[in-house]
Amino acid sequence: MSFEKIRDPRRVRHWKGDMECDYIYTAGIAGEKFFTTIRDKAKLLATRCAKCKITYLPPRIYCERCQASLDNWIEVPKTGTIETFTTVHMDNNGAPLSKPITLAFIRIDETDGGLIHEIGGTKPEALKIGMRVEAVFQSKSKRTGALTDIKYFKPV
Amino acid sequence: MVKKRVAVIGAGITLFRRRLQETGKELSHYAVEMALDSAEMTRDDIESVVMGTAPDAFDGIHMKAENLLDGAGGARKPYTRVFVGGGTGVFAPIGGWWHVASGLFDTCLVVAEEKMSPCYPHPQTAFRTIWDPIITRPLEPNLVWIFALEMQRYMQIHNIPKEHIAAIAVKNKGNALDHPSAQLAAKITVQDVLDSEVMVWPVQRLDISPPSDGAAAMILASEDVARKYTDDPVWLDGVGWSLDSAYWTNRDLYFPEYVATAARMAYKMAKIHNPRKEISLAEPYDPFDYKEAHHTEGLLLADKGGAPKLTVEGQTFRDGDQPICPSGGLLGVGNPIAAAGLMKCCECFWQLRNEAGKRQVPKAETAVAQAWGDLMQIGTVTVFRR
Repeated sequence: MSFEKIRDPRRVRHWKGDMECDYIYTAGIAGEKFFTTIRDKAKLLATRCAKCKITYLPPRIYCERCQASLDNWIEVPKTGTIETFTTVHMDNNGAPLSKPITLAFIRIDETDGGLIHEIGGTKPEALKIGMRVEAVFQSKSKRTGALTDIKYFKPV
Repeated sequence: MVKKRVAVIGAGITLFRRRLQETGKELSHYAVEMALDSAEMTRDDIESVVMGTAPDAFDGIHMKAENLLDGAGGARKPYTRVFVGGGTGVFAPIGGWWHVASGLFDTCLVVAEEKMSPCYPHPQTAFRTIWDPIITRPLEPNLVWIFALEMQRYMQIHNIPKEHIAAIAVKNKGNALDHPSAQLAAKITVQDVLDSEVMVWPVQRLDISPPSDGAAAMILASEDVARKYTDDPVWLDGVGWSLDSAYWTNRDLYFPEYVATAARMAYKMAKIHNPRKEISLAEPYDPFDYKEAHHTEGLLLADKGGAPKLTVEGQTFRDGDQPICPSGGLLGVGNPIAAAGLMKCCECFWQLRNEAGKRQVPKAETAVAQAWGDLMQIGTVTVFRR
């Protein structure tokens, strides 16, 4: 019997298994401050390295260029510019989505960083690289301190 | 073969704790910043970075070395992960040594990180799938019972009483009282160990190290560059590593042959002919108390079966003839896997620089650090000299 011709491994002696582990992830020092500020004030915070002239969003407690510790927190606008975008037509298993999702990388104003997030309030065909957008937050009662506290970004 | 002699010129470490608030990136940053400061270097002085971090399943981030990169100082640098399970912490400086000894780089930042607390309810879960899925997993083993089998065989072969093994836990938790990063430092007695909860006989609660979060870092430099930064370098003069068969049933568990093979390689490179006489202090891997003894014998620092007695007689204390785990080891300082191994190398560095404070061993000239892991059959060994 040639094993190469067996496409279904269940036709030979086999064992089933899984590699499940459960996790509780925490946001860290910088993430805790970033997300609680989104939750409580619907505002975006960044950290700045004055020496390297880099503003980090999402904020970090260190500069990745000089490795100095950063504690210079600044509030930045909730607006930004679309650097690139795409429209997702299939789910992760290859099945067609009933409603395509448009995702963009948004460079947040006054920072050297940004967020990848959904675009709403417009049609995908209306989007252009370079378009100005702003964050639309969930209502305060729905905000939990997570990335999804921003519903989406919409054109300004 | 070795193009350049490799020096250690800086080290850093975080607190070791369960459930630290920081992310793994942030922990890596703390250790790196401390190491850079201690060497009076900036990140621009670092030419290459080696990251040692154990199973992705602990942090719960696949390819976690990539996730840790910016916190570990690796952005826009040649950055490499090395990984041999629990042996990773001592393998990371070996990886750094390749970078510098080969002549490829003059400096290498070595970082080790582990954040075990995300794995819920206990990081033990992550170990369930390291076993062969057909031969071993049907019995649903966990690590503790595999070690219990090894510990039992070691004690039986040499007729070692449990009291003598427990003395090692007492020593290390006591030594850790002087370590500022320590998680489980305590003044306990042999009786406390013998009275502690039985987990998997003969392993009891106080025989075993805790899961931890933490990071450590070390800076390596070639000889000529090291002299620019310090008058007091410590030399990484020997490295060794070896893996034995992954089949438990093809090894005799009473002796870690893989450690002995790795130690012989490192000693030969460091031109150490009589390790018991020439080594001032040792940091063998001690996730369990019997493992310190087992590995001390693997490092050829005691006769087979002779290590526990050295502690009972007081020879392995800091003021004894053969100090072992003056840091407090994994049993006392804690066990964030890869960071724990590098902590041992950092301890050698601080001891040989005479910077170990209350932990200082007198007349420290040569030190050996060792870790163990993969499928419980790798030994990783580094020899440091002042």
